[in-house]
Amino acid sequence: MTGVALSRWTMSYFVAALISLIVAECLMVAGFGYPAAPIEAPETLVLVHIVTIGWLSLLMCGALFQFVPVLIARPLYNNTLPLPTLGCLLAGLFALLLSFLQIAGIVPSHPACFVAAAALLAAGFGLTLFNLGRTLWAARPLPLPARFVVVALLSLGATVVLGIIFTLVLGGIATVPHLLNVTALGLPIHVIAGLGGWLTFSAIGVSYRLLAMFMLAPELEGPTTRAAFYCGTGALGVAILGGFAAVCASGNVIMIVSAGGILGLAGIACYGRDVLHLYRARKRRVIELNSRMAGVALGNLVATLVVSIGLLIAGVFGKHVGVVVFLIAFGWLTNLGLAKLYKIVAFLTWLECYGPVLGKTPTPRVQDLVVENRANKWFVLFTVAVWCAAASLMLGAPLPFRLSAGVMLLATVGIIKQLLRTRRLANVQPTLRLPKGVRPPHLLYCWVQPT
Amino acid sequence: MTDEEATEFSGRIREALRMVIDPELGYNIVDLGLVYDVAVEDGGVVRIAMTTTTRGCPATDYLKSGSRDAAWSVPAVEFVDVALTYDPPWTPDMMTPDAKQHLGIG
Ligand code: HEM
Repeated sequence: MTGVALSRWTMSYFVAALISLIVAECLMVAGFGYPAAPIEAPETLVLVHIVTIGWLSLLMCGALFQFVPVLIARPLYNNTLPLPTLGCLLAGLFALLLSFLQIAGIVPSHPACFVAAAALLAAGFGLTLFNLGRTLWAARPLPLPARFVVVALLSLGATVVLGIIFTLVLGGIATVPHLLNVTALGLPIHVIAGLGGWLTFSAIGVSYRLLAMFMLAPELEGPTTRAAFYCGTGALGVAILGGFAAVCASGNVIMIVSAGGILGLAGIACYGRDVLHLYRARKRRVIELNSRMAGVALGNLVATLVVSIGLLIAGVFGKHVGVVVFLIAFGWLTNLGLAKLYKIVAFLTWLECYGPVLGKTPTPRVQDLVVENRANKWFVLFTVAVWCAAASLMLGAPLPFRLSAGVMLLATVGIIKQLLRTRRLANVQPTLRLPKGVRPPHLLYCWVQPT
Repeated sequence: MTDEEATEFSGRIREALRMVIDPELGYNIVDLGLVYDVAVEDGGVVRIAMTTTTRGCPATDYLKSGSRDAAWSVPAVEFVDVALTYDPPWTPDMMTPDAKQHLGIG
């Protein structure tokens, strides 16, 4: 094999991620955590981490194991390691959730749980960083999209280190005054490094390449792309390193983080300009559902920024920070994630099933594995439900929020049903579906057939 | 082999390569312009130079081995060498007018 292979366990990450998303939506429907409980309540922490670790981080890790090799045209350092990594992450998440439930007094207290959560999540994310880091290191000098991923991975490191400190402090295991100080003041850094650095920056890097690839647009490496990279990296540097320094010196963390925010806005403006350029310069006139919905997700990101600036000017940002986090997690990252998932699952399934028989027998196209008309309505419903849920949060209306979450749940189930149909080749014409030598794909992993 | 025989032989190989599609664009690699050269030599030796739409595309190995298998299926072929090249890089302008129209590419 000379080129990039299929990532064997990416599909397992996607399945675990989607289950987490469903669980989180069920909890929102049930009224568990924010907005029924305060934003800092342990119940909210449960919900937040099912979404950020269980759904978004697992989705991103699975996607990166497949797409970092594509970005740098080199194979993944180790294609077996992602399975034990997933085991650590899932066990760690479970322990972390149990720890939060102990703080809430819902389950009996057991300090070992906090230690287990910290150790397992450190191991899981550590293995991810090691595997992707070794892969990227071997490919220096890196193309621009891959450099976005490097910064994202460094931010993940920062998020996890802070998360571990918080966990050990909350569990009463770490009692060093300095760490107590970090826990008291460091939360904004943890949130920005996680949502902004890790999840948003990697999504931006990968989307540069995927949008160009799927719309046949020229690859961008020009001044605006570099500006997006440097502004974004600068923003994260200021917010994370500067914020950390401020915590240590007991300075004003919020001031530093806001300074980073301004640089971040400039970076996102450059990214937005680039994406508009990609859509305009595309050679493919009719664009696929995934690229359309990625556009909607980006629109949501811009809308979130506008809302945030409005809240800041009105002096009520602190009161509505939950709405902003919700919009980033669902309007931007989840919308983008589901849209790209719809494409990636079809693409990986095609490679797995039909790649090995290419040239030997007629094969369907990737697009034959999906029926966009059926999926379209669920994506639209999801987006509208997210807007309604955000509006309900803003207006402080818990019941409409739960109803909207119910519609999000329904739309997610609709999208997952379409993903299952793709994975089962149910949309492919029967005459082309299973030519000789093709085995039906497994739901949980990619069977990498020899070429 | 005379020049005519060589042209006819490489024509049959190009025809066979139409079985190989680019999965993403859903069109055969010959009309997409991904096959840069099909050179035939005495003794049924075939040398194919081809590319992919994007570097690092995970389908690369399959496209290469698919092309090899498709060329193999042509009678009188004894040896196939498929070389991957990104010089020059592929652009959508390399497609045939039919392929462009099929994909709605302007
Ligand atoms: C990987 C991406 C992550 C993201 C995006 C993320 C996001 C967040 C957010 C938004 C909050 C604030 C929630 C609230 O106040 O209701 C938070 C708090 C917290 N996170 Fe994370 N988190 C991540 C990973 C982790 C990890 C790996 C750990 C543990 C090892 C962790 C442990 C904590 C703890 C203990 C808190 C509560 C801190 C406190 O209240 O003082 N997080 N996280």
